[in-house]
Amino acid sequence: MAMGGGLDFAVSYPFSDSAKEAIEGIEINDRIIDLAIGRIGKALRNDPASKMLIHETDKKEDIASFAVARMILGHLRNNYLTNSFAVNESKMVHARLDREDEDTAMAVSSIFGINPIRRSQEKDRDVLVLDLPSYLRSCPRSPHYKLINRRMVQGMVEIRVAEWKRCVEEAARKHIERIPLLKDTPEVIKSAAEKTLSLLPKPDTSKLETIRVEDHPPCVAKLLESLGKHENLPHQARYFLAAYFLSLNTSEEDTAKLFQGAPDYSEKVTGYQVAQIKKRGYSVPACATVLGYGLCVADCRIGSPLNWHRLSKQRKEGIRR
Amino acid sequence: MNDRERQLMARIFADYYEIADIEIPGIEKREFGIGNFKKIDARHLSFANVQEFRRYLTTNTPFFVSHSTSYYDFPGATPIQKKQWRGADVVFDLDIHAEGKYGAFAKLDQVKADLVRLVDDFMIGDFGIKKEDLAIAFSGNRGYHVHIRDNRYHPLGGDERRELVDYVMGRGLDYTQFFSYTDTKPPRLLGPKPDEGGYRGRLARGVISLLEKDPKAISRIFADQEKREFFIGGIREGNWSRTSLKFDDLIKRAKPIADGLAVQSVDTDAGVTQDLSKLIRVPNTIHGETGFIARLIKDRADIDRFDPMKDAMVDMQVHHGETMMVLFTEDVPALSIGGETMGPFKKDERKEFKLGISMFYVLKGSASVVIR
Repeated sequence: MAMGGGLDFAVSYPFSDSAKEAIEGIEINDRIIDLAIGRIGKALRNDPASKMLIHETDKKEDIASFAVARMILGHLRNNYLTNSFAVNESKMVHARLDREDEDTAMAVSSIFGINPIRRSQEKDRDVLVLDLPSYLRSCPRSPHYKLINRRMVQGMVEIRVAEWKRCVEEAARKHIERIPLLKDTPEVIKSAAEKTLSLLPKPDTSKLETIRVEDHPPCVAKLLESLGKHENLPHQARYFLAAYFLSLNTSEEDTAKLFQGAPDYSEKVTGYQVAQIKKRGYSVPACATVLGYGLCVADCRIGSPLNWHRLSKQRKEGIRR
Repeated sequence: MNDRERQLMARIFADYYEIADIEIPGIEKREFGIGNFKKIDARHLSFANVQEFRRYLTTNTPFFVSHSTSYYDFPGATPIQKKQWRGADVVFDLDIHAEGKYGAFAKLDQVKADLVRLVDDFMIGDFGIKKEDLAIAFSGNRGYHVHIRDNRYHPLGGDERRELVDYVMGRGLDYTQFFSYTDTKPPRLLGPKPDEGGYRGRLARGVISLLEKDPKAISRIFADQEKREFFIGGIREGNWSRTSLKFDDLIKRAKPIADGLAVQSVDTDAGVTQDLSKLIRVPNTIHGETGFIARLIKDRADIDRFDPMKDAMVDMQVHHGETMMVLFTEDVPALSIGGETMGPFKKDERKEFKLGISMFYVLKGSASVVIR
C-alpha cells in the first residue's frame, strides 16, 4: 500500500518519522481539533475503522489529529482514555499491516526496533525469527507467546508472520501509551480536553471500589490493581478474574462491572462472556494454570487461588511480604 | 561477635580492599548499598569511579556491599523515581536452601551444577548471549550470581525479565505439546529432535542419553540393543514411533526427564531478576556473614575447577599473620573448607586455622577470636 516514507504511509502510521515531517509547521486549526477529539471518541467506541483520504490537506490534518489527540491525552493524564486510545490505534495499525506488502510491514516494524528475519535455510515462508530481547519487549502477555512454548535457538525466537504482526501491534500500543508530559498546555488544547472529557462514559466502578484488594490472593490483587489503572488485561487474565469472582458467589452483573474500566470494555461482549463462564460452570484455574498464563506473582503454594481464603492472616501477610 | 572482633575483621576487610580487583562496568550510573549489621543498612550511595569506591571501602569497611542491577542518570537521588532509570543488567541469583547454619555449604556443588547448566544451556545455548557479556560470581554465601551485561537486554521491564525466569525454571512447561500425531494410518508420533534448540532439543537429548546409560529406566523393551538403537535412530529424525510402546505411555515415561530439564535453584523469592530496584553483591567484595569473597569467575572454563570453600577465602597474611586461633562457642559439623575436611568441632574447643577459615567460623557466629 504505502512503502515507508510517503504521505499515505504517514497517514497509516502517524507515529512514524515521515508523519512528523509531514506535519512540520502545520497550524492547529478547529478542524484538526475536531478530528483529534473524534479520534479519541472512536477509541471509546472500540471502532478501529479508518476512512480513505484523497486530498493532501485531509491527509495532513488526519496525521496532525493523532499528534493533537496525544497532546489532549497528555494534558488530561487519564489512564482510561490513554489506554483506550492506545488499544484502538494499535488495532488500526494491525489491520493496516495485514494489507501491506512485506517490505512496508517491515518498515513499520522497524520503527519499534522489531526486525525479524527469514532464515536462509527456512523453507516455510510463514516462519520468521526474531531476536530474544525484541521478542520479549513486544510479545503479548499470553500463554501462546510464553517463551517456554516457543522454538528458540541461539537467542532467535521462531514466530509466524501473523504473530509478528501481533507483536508490532503490541509494541505500537506500548509506544502510544507513553504519552509525553505536557507543560504549559496551550488554551486550545485545554478546551479540547474539556470537550473530550464529556465523551467519557460514566462507568459504574462501584463494584471495583468495594473490593478490598488485600482480601484476595496476590495474583488476583495484581489484576484488580491493573484494572483500576485501566490497563489492558489479556484474555486469560479476564477469564481468570471472572471465574474467580463468580465462584465467590459474586453475581454475573457485578462480575461484569469489574471490567468496566478496561480500555476496550464492551458491555455486551463482557456480559455475554461472564454469562457463558457461569452457564458452563467453568472452574477457577488452579495455581499451576495461573502460572502457565504468566499471571502468578507470588510463591503461595496453595494449589488453587480459592484456597487463599482458608489461610491464616499471618500466613497471608508472610506471602505478601 | 564482639566489638573487638568486629574491628579486627574490619581491618582485614580494609587490607583486602586495598588490593582487591574491583571492576564495575558503568560504576558511575549505579546505586550502591552498604550494610554492617544487615545486608543493607543504607542505600542510594553513588561513586564516580573505582578509585572513589575503593577509598570508601578501605575507610568505612562495610560488611556487605551491593550495587544496583539498574543504571541511572542520577543514581544517588531519592526517591527512586528521581534517579531516572536507563536500563538494567539481567541478573540471576542461584541459591540453595538447606537445614542448619552450615547445611548449604555441603551442597554448593549442586548449585554449581545448576550454574553450569544455566550458563551453557540457557544463557549461551538458548539465549545466545556471548561469553564476554556474562559475568559469573560466587555470591559469597550459598550460591552464585550470573550477570548478563548485553545492552540489548538493558531496556527490558520487570514482566519481561520474569518471562526469562519462568523459562529458566521451566514454569508453565508442557512437554506433551512437543509431540503430535500424523494423519497417516497407522499414525506416527512426531516429537523433538536432539539438534533442536531450547527445551525441545534438551528433552530429546535427555531421552537419548538415558536410553544409552540406563535403557530400562524408560522401558525394559530398550534393554534389547537392536530395538533401542532403532528407536534412538527415529528420535534423531523427529520420529518417536519406532517402538512397540503405546504412544501415550511413551510420552508419560518421558516425564521424569522433562522434570529435570529446568534450573530449580534460581532464587525467585528475592526477585533479583525481575525487580529493577534490587541491589546485588558487588563481585569481588567480601560477604560479611562468611568472610568469603564474592569471587568473579572470569572465564567460563574456570567454573569447573572453582571451589568456593577454598578459592573464595580471604588470603591476607601480610598484616595479620597466616593463622588465627579461635574458641568454638557452639558445636559445628564437619565441613570441607580450605581444601580439606574440618571438624566436627565441639563447643569450647580451641583451634588454630588459616586466616580465612577462622574468619568464616567467627563471622558465622560459631567461634570467637583468641588473642595470643
